Amino acid sequence: MEIFLQQLLNALSLGGTYALLALGLAVVFSIIGLINFAHGELMTVTGYAVCFALIWGMPFPLAVIAGLGVAMTAALLMERVAFRPVRGASGTTLLLTSFAVSAILRVLFQNLISARPIPVSIPASLSGVVTIGPLHLGMIQLISIIVTLAMLLGLNLFLHRTIAGRAMRAAAEDFAVLRLMGLRANSVVATAFAISGLLAGVAGILWVAQRGSVDPLMGALPVLKAFIAAIIGGLGSLSGAVAGGFLLGFIEVILQAYLPESLLPYRDAFAILLVISVLLFRPQGLLARKTLVKL
Amino acid sequence: MKKNKLLLLSAAISALSTVPAMADDLVIGFATAQTGYLAPYDQPNLAGLQLKIDEINAAGGIAGKFPIKTIIKDTRTDSAQTALVAQELVDEGAQLIITPCDADPSIAAGMITQDAGIPAISFCATTPTLPLAVGDHMFSNYPADNVQATMLANHAIEQGYKTAYILTSPDTAYTLKLPQYFGQVFEAKGGTLLGEGTFTMGQQDFSAEVTKIAAMNPQPDVIMTAAYEPDFPAFIRQLRGAGVTAPIIGADAIDSPTTFSLGELAEGVVFSTAGHATEGSALEAFNAKWQEKTGNAPDTIYIANGYDLGNIIEAAVTAADSVEPAAIRDGIANLENLAGVTGPITFKGTNGMPLRSVALVRVKGGDRELVAQGLPEAADIPAP
Repeated sequence: MEIFLQQLLNALSLGGTYALLALGLAVVFSIIGLINFAHGELMTVTGYAVCFALIWGMPFPLAVIAGLGVAMTAALLMERVAFRPVRGASGTTLLLTSFAVSAILRVLFQNLISARPIPVSIPASLSGVVTIGPLHLGMIQLISIIVTLAMLLGLNLFLHRTIAGRAMRAAAEDFAVLRLMGLRANSVVATAFAISGLLAGVAGILWVAQRGSVDPLMGALPVLKAFIAAIIGGLGSLSGAVAGGFLLGFIEVILQAYLPESLLPYRDAFAILLVISVLLFRPQGLLARKTLVKL
Repeated sequence: MKKNKLLLLSAAISALSTVPAMADDLVIGFATAQTGYLAPYDQPNLAGLQLKIDEINAAGGIAGKFPIKTIIKDTRTDSAQTALVAQELVDEGAQLIITPCDADPSIAAGMITQDAGIPAISFCATTPTLPLAVGDHMFSNYPADNVQATMLANHAIEQGYKTAYILTSPDTAYTLKLPQYFGQVFEAKGGTLLGEGTFTMGQQDFSAEVTKIAAMNPQPDVIMTAAYEPDFPAFIRQLRGAGVTAPIIGADAIDSPTTFSLGELAEGVVFSTAGHATEGSALEAFNAKWQEKTGNAPDTIYIANGYDLGNIIEAAVTAADSVEPAAIRDGIANLENLAGVTGPITFKGTNGMPLRSVALVRVKGGDRELVAQGLPEAADIPAP
């Protein structure tokens, strides 16, 4: 029983990171119908920003803030340079553009920074353990659960209590009508990218804190997981992305914990099978959106 | 008329694009990774080898008469691209081809070079079955997995560890087989294997696996894994986070700056590597030379390893006294006790995986401490 509870906590922590990532994809998709595969590179940019901030002698909390700032700026730049010119183009064009942005950034990191991972000195206090009764929780795991919940709450408040947030929700419903109401499309889209940059930044810092280094390709796997999570949840639905993230984390941890040893090498295959079976019963995802985006 | 012009033009272009090799030039083709996940291993090897090539050419070539020309092409860490690049290099007249730091792309390139009768050497592939999969023209330039694993298992037995747990990943031969070789030798020498866990590379989440290890009763005396970045730091962080204190043994891929920057977490980790700069050693002299040339101390053994590949090529061509591919192959295959900067290197009597000494080092206070150095008994090494 204790072990089961411990595994549940593990699932919550992993699922939280996936939820943050999936949410970053969903925020952008819900507005302009783009699945941004360069989202992972926003994590990498954050990692490098934190890394260099620490090398230049900034204290860790300041480095984190700098990293988040750089992530949001990078997301805005990405939107302005690469995605604005193709806004409204077909889904395939948007998808290929995001692949191109991702590939270009990776090659730039490899050639301008280093092909090898650069160590990031994470403060020793983040390696600690919190013991709750019989359960152990790593400091980073605990922080990722708390941060995920805080981000979800914050985003919810933003979307429901502010004008920019309401505009974003309206844009997700019907972009054309939103523009007829006199709201500027560019500022709504920019807000969406800034939020997605912030989410990528937070997830990036949590990711780097676990591994203790930054390398040019580190964004590839997380963005894939985020994509799967967003698909299970229902593409474009924000609450769906969160649900999908937690579900994927839960499936992965429980399979790793309870598959017999001889089947463990096939864990990922089982996880994907479960995902497919979810989609067989709910082809639109768990929490599909009722309206579709038309630009 | 127009057609003729085109022909002339294309002839001119192809003449320009080939290397103007002289009769006595040794043309080395590089089908290695400048980008992708093998770049962190191939690039430092290339930098080390380049230094050796510059030294050789400054002295008028190998044995004063065979200057080296290089053709370097990026494989993007893609096996299909590696085969394609290898074919291009063969067509452009390479007499020796260098392949990436991993068995899979090296086999892809080896299929081409074997048929063309051109020797190929991998920068640092460690899979002992690599030459078996390709043929007698394939070599590697690093201590094989089974040799490293035997050294590590000997160390575990000497430390008095009775039980071990191994963590493998089926994603690569290295992460799967090296710990399994370790387990074989450990059991053959009287130890007991308590279990084998698995992980997916790049996933970074070990929480479920770590919870299982923490729940083991009795706890293993030692945990062995060939996981490397980003998995290794994440694993050790989460393992210690779950309260497991068993010592950890790793393999050569964690010989990277990240491991030494983990602080208290990595303290006491023992791993195998290709060499250790003891006082007065050739490696220490090489490190000093590198520092002088580039301004930075080498941050990985792969630089010295690449330089040693240069030593191998120089010795093989000198012995062959020829730059014919067949003669170079024989030259490499007959090298015995070549004095490399990482230690003696022998190809004679092997299938193409060299006999080279392995160093075991312990992480201590953010620096390295030598535990053992040498070659294990041939009888102890498990068959590939």
